[in-house]
Amino acid sequence: MEGDAITVDGLGVRFRRNRRGRRSLKDLFGGSSRRSRPNEFWALRDVSFAVKRGESIGVVGRNGQGKSTLLKLVAGVLLPDEGSVTVDGGVAPLIEITGGFVGDLTVRENVRLTAGLHGMPRAEVNRRFDGIIEFAELEDFIDTPYKHLSNGMKVRLAFAVVSELDEPILLVDEVLAVGDKAFREKCYARIDELLAGGRTLFFVSHNERDLRRFCERGLYLKKGRLELDASLDEVLDRYNADYPA
Amino acid sequence: MTQTVGAPGSARRYLHSLWLLSGRDLRVRYSTSALGYLWSILDPLVMSLIYWFVFTQVFERTVGTEPYIVFLIMALLPWVWFNSAVTDFTKAFSKDARLVRSTSIPRSIWVTRIILSKGIEFLFSLPVIVLFAIVGGATLTWGVLLFPLAVLLQLVLLVGLGLLIAPLCMLWGDLERTTRLILRALFYASPIIYGIYDLPGVFPTLAAFNPLAGIFSLYRVAFFPDQWDPFALAISAVMCVGFLGAGLIVFRRLEPAVLKEL
Repeated sequence: MEGDAITVDGLGVRFRRNRRGRRSLKDLFGGSSRRSRPNEFWALRDVSFAVKRGESIGVVGRNGQGKSTLLKLVAGVLLPDEGSVTVDGGVAPLIEITGGFVGDLTVRENVRLTAGLHGMPRAEVNRRFDGIIEFAELEDFIDTPYKHLSNGMKVRLAFAVVSELDEPILLVDEVLAVGDKAFREKCYARIDELLAGGRTLFFVSHNERDLRRFCERGLYLKKGRLELDASLDEVLDRYNADYPA
Repeated sequence: MTQTVGAPGSARRYLHSLWLLSGRDLRVRYSTSALGYLWSILDPLVMSLIYWFVFTQVFERTVGTEPYIVFLIMALLPWVWFNSAVTDFTKAFSKDARLVRSTSIPRSIWVTRIILSKGIEFLFSLPVIVLFAIVGGATLTWGVLLFPLAVLLQLVLLVGLGLLIAPLCMLWGDLERTTRLILRALFYASPIIYGIYDLPGVFPTLAAFNPLAGIFSLYRVAFFPDQWDPFALAISAVMCVGFLGAGLIVFRRLEPAVLKEL
């Protein structure tokens, strides 16, 4: 559809309940009708919605209700068992704290690698490198292996790189909760900037204030289903009614 | 908005990502060791010298063609490429799980990057052949023109095997050790320390059904025209394409399960 950045249609994905469960060849190669899967559950099912370009969506739900799974499916790092996700343009994902960084490589190499894998040409990476490092406040750690950074530094670096990518869609999981207050403010200012520039934002958070700050529309996930797709205020009201503090 | 290297999903972007990851592999390998590039040569060099000593100085040898060291090394170097790539296939996804989990590049890159970086090391080790050919006094023939064809066949075979092995090993841990065991057997079951024609009875025909047989013989034609074996080559080519087809199907089928497992 014209103007839709993300189209999710009848999306469903299932996981195994226990990791050690036996897996038979029939499970993997057989058609869906032949499979016996007593040990599986649907992490998400029958989820459909469309996001317009430039919209900012807040995803609300308790832990384990499918928020991060939905983000991963939109980011394309998980494939659906049912339905489809169509994303128009690239996605800049800030999903896990360590999102896509390699422990043994230095900060410099990690920046090059991540930006490069998102299709940024080498010259462009070089041009923006200083800006990224400055934003992450890691001037003294450029040649430090990533694994030796503190958790706060890791998040700073990840956000600095991912927000510098020219992808039209930005996914932010709860990672920012790790940074200190000053840095969080800096990140939020950057997100505001990106939104003003017409990016589409997909934001997962437990923090009501953050959600209200960025998002107009909310998606409320409950037990893997899309319980409500409405304005953020409505969604938060319903969420708070379901789980009174 | 600045430009990117090709649109997501385009061939150009694929090559860009592939090159980036393979280049990183090589940089890590060459920069973390003092000897760096020499390792690419040293490893096959020492192996060749051991086999040369055992099979030309210790044992009476009735197989192969003179100069044996060149005969040996023409198959040994491609074998090192094959062996190291297949060994790494078993850990293709788990080694960089974090990166796979958070980057939506085409997943086959995690297989092809192994083939490419090991392949580049193979090319780097080719001067060893030149060295031994000069020392051993082997004469280069027009057969060397078939060398690129042998490389191409081996590439097709490796891509097919990689697409099969990498996801299967991710889902069944046992297969990792099984693969290593098969590799060890395959070393002796392939014409490396011997040639196809040295096999007795029906074995030359049977051996042709090992796709490596046709490929290794083709490499050897560069110095040993008598190793030319159209039968083994034809079967090998068919099998390489077959593995590629099977690999593509299995990979597509198992990809969602692999991503869940990471």
